[in-house]
Amino acid sequence: LSPISSLPSSTHTSCPEVKVPFPVFFTVGIVSLAENLLVVVAVMRSRNLHSPMYCFMCSLAAFNTIASVTKTWENLMIVLADAGHLERRGPPETDLDDVMDSLLCMSFVGSISSFLAIAVDRYITIFHALRYHNIMTMQRTAAILGLIWTLCAVLAVLMVKFFNFKFIMICFIVFFVVSLAAICFLYVYMFMMARIHAKNIAALPGGGRDKSQHQRRWGSNMRGALTLTILFGAFVVCWAPFFVHLVIITVCPMNPYCECYRSLFELHVVLMMSHALIDPAIYAFRMAELRHTFRKMLFCSDWKFCL
Amino acid sequence: MSDFHNRSQVSARRSDYVWQYEYYEDEEPVSFEGLKAHRYSIVIGFWVGLAVFVIFMFFVLTLLTKTGAPHQENPDSGEKRHRPEGCLVDINGHQDDNDKAFSRPLLEGSRSYFNFYISEEDQAHEKQKPEDKMSSAKDKAERLQRSAEIDEMDEDVEESGGQHQPLSGLIEKSKSDRDRECAFLSHFSIPNFVNLDPGSTLGEDDLLYEPSVILERQSQAHNGHCDTH
Repeated sequence: LSPISSLPSSTHTSCPEVKVPFPVFFTVGIVSLAENLLVVVAVMRSRNLHSPMYCFMCSLAAFNTIASVTKTWENLMIVLADAGHLERRGPPETDLDDVMDSLLCMSFVGSISSFLAIAVDRYITIFHALRYHNIMTMQRTAAILGLIWTLCAVLAVLMVKFFNFKFIMICFIVFFVVSLAAICFLYVYMFMMARIHAKNIAALPGGGRDKSQHQRRWGSNMRGALTLTILFGAFVVCWAPFFVHLVIITVCPMNPYCECYRSLFELHVVLMMSHALIDPAIYAFRMAELRHTFRKMLFCSDWKFCL
Repeated sequence: MSDFHNRSQVSARRSDYVWQYEYYEDEEPVSFEGLKAHRYSIVIGFWVGLAVFVIFMFFVLTLLTKTGAPHQENPDSGEKRHRPEGCLVDINGHQDDNDKAFSRPLLEGSRSYFNFYISEEDQAHEKQKPEDKMSSAKDKAERLQRSAEIDEMDEDVEESGGQHQPLSGLIEKSKSDRDRECAFLSHFSIPNFVNLDPGSTLGEDDLLYEPSVILERQSQAHNGHCDTH
């Protein structure tokens, strides 16, 4: 339950552990919980949103919800333990700790898989547009989601039970790097092809001669580059520190430089949680259809008729 | 997540797998004496590397928007673009006589559909449409709308075009819809890669390098139309 305890005070100049105040954890946790729960409820209740793309976003939001709930609960337990109401090393607490760690692993692997699924879905939508409905049927979507969830559950249990083996840790890290590379490749490829074909269209005899059109295209290209940078940059900035942390505790547990990196553990966890906070803003809230559903849900006076 | 460190310490130091919790106070402290570099050098190096990576990625993306395939600069390239043969109306007034896409036999059958669709785009008035043409054009429009929706790179497309009735902007030819369509098409820059025959076995390469005929015609038609606004 306890976070890294600080090094003993001695004559050594140590890296003191950076502590994040509990209100920050709670705020981030609760706000991300509210957002993601809203996305999940909106997708499940609205008939318009029963399409593969929204199902994948719902799955992402569900994993983020689990992560927020688990982390907030863990923080609550830490607060209680610090206040002396809970025994840190008692059996029920360690079991609960295991359960929470499993859930966190599951949500972590699940969010990454959901990102991958969303990227592949967008890729198919753009490059195999006419066959999209045959490739990505709702049955296949359900199968993919079932696979993701069972895989995550199994991996989570294995991770926590057999954490002592370095092999598991290495698998984890490799999974992260491979997913990152795949997502990066898919999005950059889509972006490149889209720009090339936008230029093709503009190069038509009728098109592209208008200067204002050219500037408009440049503006939208910049916006596209910015969006992609935000999407990918947020993912990397929020997840990479924690991963480097895992690499470091595998590779150099006793090195003083690594020790100083590890002292920032709580900051890295807050970063990870804040990714669950900004995920809806990057993925879900940019869809007009979803925004419309939210407005109906939140501001509609008569619930029975709204959805 | 917090007891990971405890367990890693156990695995790093012990050969037997006695599973017990340990805290750092129980072990000899890491010695910080004689450090050559700053204590937080790994932390600083990591964050600097991350920032460089993100900024580099942004610059690569913006560079991709400025440069494109070199053959697009060629003004004659328009003739190499794929045009349907026997196109009914060409709003810019020149007929194209050759296109690679339509020379394949399995695309012959869909040509009449495209002729219809294109002529429908070029007319300013309502036309009497057979039901099946309407539904296939509806299908195309749905896909356009969906690709517009999923395309967050051009978010204003969603505002202007991707509403609950995406088809109205493309099928009904009322004036207000054409105006909205102009806004839609002027911002829409990620086209659909439309495979003309759903059952075709065109390879991936074919899809990649053939721009969508519908959008080309649309952009052409609407360039002509929108420019007059």
